[in-house]
Amino acid sequence: MSDIDEKDIHSFVDAVSAYFYQTTGEKAEIRSAYLVESGVSATTFELIGHISLSGSFSGRVYFSASRGMVRHLLLMMKELNHTEEHLLDTVGEVANTIAGNARQHFGDTMEISVPVVTATTHENWLNTVVSPRSYVILIKWKQYKASVVVDIQRIAK
Amino acid sequence: MVKHRHSIFAKYRTIILAVILFVVADSLVISINFYGTFKANESAVSINLSGRQRMLSQRTTKVLLLLQRSLETGDEAEVARDLKELDLVVNLFDSTLKGFRDGDTVTGGDGNKVFLTQVDTDISRDLVAKTYVIWEPYLDKLRPLLGGNRNFSPAQVEAAVSFARDNNLEILRLMNDLTSDLELVANTRAHFLRVILILGVFVALGNFAYTVVVSIRDLMRSDEQITKAQEETTEILSTVHEGLFLLNKDGTLGTQFSASLPKMLRRNISPGMNFIAVLREMVPQNVFDAATDYIELLLGDRVKESLVTSLNPLTNVPITTTDQAGATQQSYLTFFFNRAIMDGQISHLLVTVQDVTEQVSLMQRLEQAKKQSKTEVEAFLRLLGNDFGALQQFLANVDQELAQINKELSQDDHRHQHTLNNILRIVHGIKGEAAVLGVDVLEAYAHECEKEMIAIRESGDEVTGDHMLRITVLLEGFYERYSSLSEIIARFGEVLGNKGTQIEQAVKTPRIASQIASLAQRIAKDQNKEVEIFCKLEMLETLPGRISQDLQGISIQLVRNALTHGIETPAERAMAHKPEKGKLHLWCERLDNTHYDFVVRDDGRGIVPERLRAHFVKNGQMSQEEAAGLSDHEIVSQLFLPGVSTATTANRDAGHGIGLDVVVEKIKNFNGHLQIKSHADLFTEFHIRFEITV
Repeated sequence: MSDIDEKDIHSFVDAVSAYFYQTTGEKAEIRSAYLVESGVSATTFELIGHISLSGSFSGRVYFSASRGMVRHLLLMMKELNHTEEHLLDTVGEVANTIAGNARQHFGDTMEISVPVVTATTHENWLNTVVSPRSYVILIKWKQYKASVVVDIQRIAK
Repeated sequence: MVKHRHSIFAKYRTIILAVILFVVADSLVISINFYGTFKANESAVSINLSGRQRMLSQRTTKVLLLLQRSLETGDEAEVARDLKELDLVVNLFDSTLKGFRDGDTVTGGDGNKVFLTQVDTDISRDLVAKTYVIWEPYLDKLRPLLGGNRNFSPAQVEAAVSFARDNNLEILRLMNDLTSDLELVANTRAHFLRVILILGVFVALGNFAYTVVVSIRDLMRSDEQITKAQEETTEILSTVHEGLFLLNKDGTLGTQFSASLPKMLRRNISPGMNFIAVLREMVPQNVFDAATDYIELLLGDRVKESLVTSLNPLTNVPITTTDQAGATQQSYLTFFFNRAIMDGQISHLLVTVQDVTEQVSLMQRLEQAKKQSKTEVEAFLRLLGNDFGALQQFLANVDQELAQINKELSQDDHRHQHTLNNILRIVHGIKGEAAVLGVDVLEAYAHECEKEMIAIRESGDEVTGDHMLRITVLLEGFYERYSSLSEIIARFGEVLGNKGTQIEQAVKTPRIASQIASLAQRIAKDQNKEVEIFCKLEMLETLPGRISQDLQGISIQLVRNALTHGIETPAERAMAHKPEKGKLHLWCERLDNTHYDFVVRDDGRGIVPERLRAHFVKNGQMSQEEAAGLSDHEIVSQLFLPGVSTATTANRDAGHGIGLDVVVEKIKNFNGHLQIKSHADLFTEFHIRFEITV
């Protein structure tokens, strides 16, 4: 993972921050960050959206948030449809924003998939799918927390 | 040059031909006109004189008749006057008729001599010949009366008068016809001249029209070519990725440049702008001086362009810009200069600017990779000199410490400042252990991380989640280096057949003393100090692994501190009447079944509360009043707080205010008790007492 620099990681986190700012006028900020290691899990919330990257980098970037957070987000957006499907769509939209920012940051050499969304009750779900030493960045927005997990590697040319 | 002239002729061929045609046609018309005018003049003389011949024929007859009457009246004066006039008119008629026949100089109407051209038409020649047929017998009859002669007879007069009466009208008619014929010739010539003039005018007009049409056509074609060339140039300049422009001899930019140039130079560019001034803002003074010399060299013609290309100082020029968010960006540009030659003279320099950021970045990465590879090889060679078990133990410790850092980071308790201090202590500990074992790659990286984290701590800003992300990135770098090193050691282990059991043996090896001694000597050398080490640390081998590790860590920190803050330079020691070589003692001893002492003592300048107060006040860490209000114990305790140091400058060995913080934390691990004894300019002793119960 060492070939991913801080700017690369920020490009994903900034996308989330920008999404919250544009939709609610309040920025989401980085609360803390760490690596997935033995004994330290990737913090998982109930709703997860991810994009897959290929090209000069390979791997996935996950955005995970609680239902409560997404509902509050929808309320701030004056959206009254709070069905599970709509909650997942919203998480997918955040993942899509991450994809858009990634395209801008990495340029044409990066191929980015459409967002895929999942709902889970398994509190360590992310831990079961991400590689060791993936970055976990905890985001705070209002009283809520969310996580961005960056699990990508540069592909050697 | 010849080619250039040829191209000029080709370009202006039509105009040149038109001018030649104009000159030839005009010369022709003017010549014809001149000839016609000359002929007209001749005709006018001829017509005038032929008209005079008519008059002379009549006057001859009239004078003859008057002479006859004067003779009859006997008026001698009249006779003389008549004879004189007869002489004049007959000579004039005769010479003029002769002029018409042969061409000759005759007396004109105004009395001046004029050349009378021979008649040149058949009619005129015939008329003159017929006139001669009458005139010659007539002249014979008149001759006795001419030349002032008075010896003529009345019969001779009568004969002349009679001949005149018979032929006067015929001579008049012949002269009339001659005049008419000469007028006809003159008219024909005048008509011819008009025709020629009209033709000349038409030729001139045609030539003018041709010149205008062809010139306009050529101008339009030329304009079209110029427009097309301009469009192509504009297209090239707006498309090309490189920055392109012509540099004038006075250092200004030409009128056209590629669209990418302002973007590459990261500034507004306008035609005629002074490139030298732009360059001055972009590059350091030494590069600027070299660049202006190079440009001057290229603009001169003393050296060959190909010979000085390698002197170009404007290669891989770093350009630093700051965006709106305040973030700095660095790119690299290379400027290529080529002479533009016109008429064999250097007119401009064609400057091509290329963005070589990617190449430079690649080169730097390659260089870094080479350096890293070299460092790793060197580190590996150094590691070979170490105790293998100690290395394995060290790596196991590092693994645990890195995991501990990650755990600290993952504690989502929002106490970032606290987390930062804890991580700093761990990193400092790793740095110390790496230094003891000579694991440069980890020592250097730990130092780098430490510097960044200290910068965060000392910035005075609140430690935020963004800082935690930065530290996480640093941690990843640590893991990366740790993994590489582990892999090397593991392979080394496989070669030597060492297995995991080596770890326990490593702890028990007595090499800690020599390792600390070599670390102390290295630090002393770095700081231009001299020191003698006395270690008695065999007891450490008998202690439980964790306590032994902590005490080793404490040893490293206190040795660093002793050499940085305690022991003076040889010169200072000489002034204080102390031996130039300082002394550093470390020992560990058992007091009874359960109690142990661990001591580090140096004979340096000591910890002096008054000096500490002055230092803290001077550094702005506390006010005069605050410093004065603290007891000696309290002021010394400040040294154990994170971020407090008495060093004037920070280096890799001390000065960051971490070492004693680490010492305290490690002592806490085994519930030890620390006592500090010191005397100004004599010694400092760190005395740790601890208990081990089974």
